Amino acid sequence: MRRLAEKIVRALNLLWLRLREWCGDAAYERYLRATARRPSAAVVSPEQFYVQQLERKYSRPNRCC
Amino acid sequence: MKKIVSVLIWVAISCVGAGALGAIALHRNERISATWFVLAAACCYLVAYRFYSAFLAAKVVALDDTRATPAERNDDGRDFVPTNKWVLFGHHFAAIAGPGPLVGPTLAAQFGYLPGTLWLIAGAAFAGCVQDFVILFCSIRRNGKSLGEMARDEVGKRGGFIAQLAVLAILVILLGVVALVVVNALKTSPWATFTLAMTIPIALLMGVYLRFLRPGRVLEASLIGLALVLFVVVAGQWVAESAAWASVFTLSGVALAFWIIAYGFAASALPVWLLLAPRDYLSAFIKAGAIFSLAAGILIVRPEIQMPALTKFIDGSGPVFAGKIFPFCFITIACGAISGFHSLISSGTTPKMIQREGHARMIGYGAMLLESFVGVMAMVAACAMQPGVYFAINSPAGVVGSTPEAVATTISGWGYALEPQTMIHMAHAVGEQTLFNRAGGAPSLAVGMAQIFSSTIGGERLMSIWYHFAIMFEALFILTVLDAGTRVGRFMVQEMGGRVWKPFGETSWMPSVVMASAFVVGAWGYFLYQGVIDPFGGINSLWPLFGIANQLLAAVALVVATTILLKMGKLKWIWVTLLPMVWLIAVTMTASWQKIFSTNARIGFLSGANALAGQIAAGKIAAARIAEIQRTIFNLRLDAVVTAVLASMILVLVVEALVRWTAILTKRSEAVLHETPYVATRWIAGAEGD
Repeated sequence: MRRLAEKIVRALNLLWLRLREWCGDAAYERYLRATARRPSAAVVSPEQFYVQQLERKYSRPNRCC
Repeated sequence: MKKIVSVLIWVAISCVGAGALGAIALHRNERISATWFVLAAACCYLVAYRFYSAFLAAKVVALDDTRATPAERNDDGRDFVPTNKWVLFGHHFAAIAGPGPLVGPTLAAQFGYLPGTLWLIAGAAFAGCVQDFVILFCSIRRNGKSLGEMARDEVGKRGGFIAQLAVLAILVILLGVVALVVVNALKTSPWATFTLAMTIPIALLMGVYLRFLRPGRVLEASLIGLALVLFVVVAGQWVAESAAWASVFTLSGVALAFWIIAYGFAASALPVWLLLAPRDYLSAFIKAGAIFSLAAGILIVRPEIQMPALTKFIDGSGPVFAGKIFPFCFITIACGAISGFHSLISSGTTPKMIQREGHARMIGYGAMLLESFVGVMAMVAACAMQPGVYFAINSPAGVVGSTPEAVATTISGWGYALEPQTMIHMAHAVGEQTLFNRAGGAPSLAVGMAQIFSSTIGGERLMSIWYHFAIMFEALFILTVLDAGTRVGRFMVQEMGGRVWKPFGETSWMPSVVMASAFVVGAWGYFLYQGVIDPFGGINSLWPLFGIANQLLAAVALVVATTILLKMGKLKWIWVTLLPMVWLIAVTMTASWQKIFSTNARIGFLSGANALAGQIAAGKIAAARIAEIQRTIFNLRLDAVVTAVLASMILVLVVEALVRWTAILTKRSEAVLHETPYVATRWIAGAEGD
């Protein structure tokens, strides 16, 4: 029973993680991890990252008919 | 033993699918349950995915999981982001699923349920999914290059230029047509207009929250937005019931057109974080919720299909749009089976986020299957209502008349019984003054959805809420396409203009932003206005134009894919893209020819214009209407020119590709592939995300 509960909690955690990735909530954390691997890269603030990311996303076709 | 069980399972799925398809195709003179549609579609998709996409992945494109993808090679946490395959599947599906697979099948239901359903399933499996998958693969192998760049590199400079022009053309026509669908859904409806208008301040609020209060917290902001949107759907009823407020939000088609044009301009010119992005978040959540609810509703209610398998309008005399099954059913369905626009997504963000080449099969092929399933659900929702009601909602006044009695008499005369009282009762049940003359597919789909939802929860008491929820859902994500598309169009115009005059290409220079936005909005706004004032409802002339443009772009994508397969030495398997390409060219060319030159005034733009000019010359048009009719004549001739230009573009590209293919096959030219060099992946197979 305990094992089942653990499995359910793990599955819900994974679902939550994927939902955050899908909707973009986790984008800044992902960006920080990527820049950590490149020490020379300048890191921007969450506000700057959010706006820059939107500017790029909506400058090319990203929604279909 | 395991293999035998697997074979038995797949034999069973194939048999159930074949049986369900047979039931749909052979059923006559009796009502059929929607369950058969769901079964047929689901089994066919499973078989297509399991076998055909596996064949494409293994033999045709030979996906290689040992090869590093652009996301792995260039991982910067911004554009190139290795992403879990299920998350990327969700991203890709949210990007490709637009109003097309909902509106197209609803309009094509005028032929009966059979032609549209068969094309939705077969077209997706053998054409649409193949296009999305192969283009995604090609872009992954080219560091995430766009369709235009690949066309230029692999086919030739002219091919690249045509692809770029085709994208701009389709964008302009698409935006004009989808805006017309919204206008036809909102006109003279204070409830629907209020609800949609309120989504603008809600989006602004979300924008400020996401920018200043909690940067990047999309889930929180979307939940707040969602709650507010649901509240305004309900509040719309109070507005509609208040004489003073109802008059404020009761707008004519022309007034709505100008509001939407102004909105498009604002969304394109304002900072993206303020209006466009938050609306998109809201739309994505509501879209996912509404599509899953519709699927669940159909499975629970299992409505009976009331539309016959084939209607009398297969002869080309349809009231919603004129023309025979070939080519107009295919042109009308468009996105639910194959959409050229998808090739832009498959060569846009997705290839830069894919973790392994092997994921391309599920994301490229699988997401399109799901989109096709949305199209089948729209077909079910449209065909589950009485045929008389369907035709009353979707037929323009110019065809069926403008009074309830005239509409009922005309439609009953076609063999689809309809009492004037039925439509009055229906309009009352959904909280509208009238449902007549709402061509465009959105209102009839909303009625179908409301009937399914209210059979599950709330009964007739909640019918009006469900109807306006469905209208809000459709209009919200159509406007998302509209504002995102206008902004992309603005960037394309700025890029093209920048080649002539450099400052114009600076995307943050305000005069350039305003001029380019005004140009794009003016272009699609013209088509929108033309549709709104069209006495035949606009859909008859504009939706086929949109379908031709969309399928043209799909043909461009398949030409590029075929050229690349040829260069890869896959001559043996070239039919996988060549056959859908030939089919699309046949459909596009036949439709273009008929739309320009048909002697039937309801089909041919030129004969339509000549017929109206003849009526003016014969003095059959009242003096007060002559200016309006002359404008319609001009618009019809303009549509003929636009169609001719689109058809010429595909012909030039096909000739260019044929020359290239002949040179490669006769060894006169070397088959140079422009793939990025092989780099081995650093990731182990079977890791997370596989």
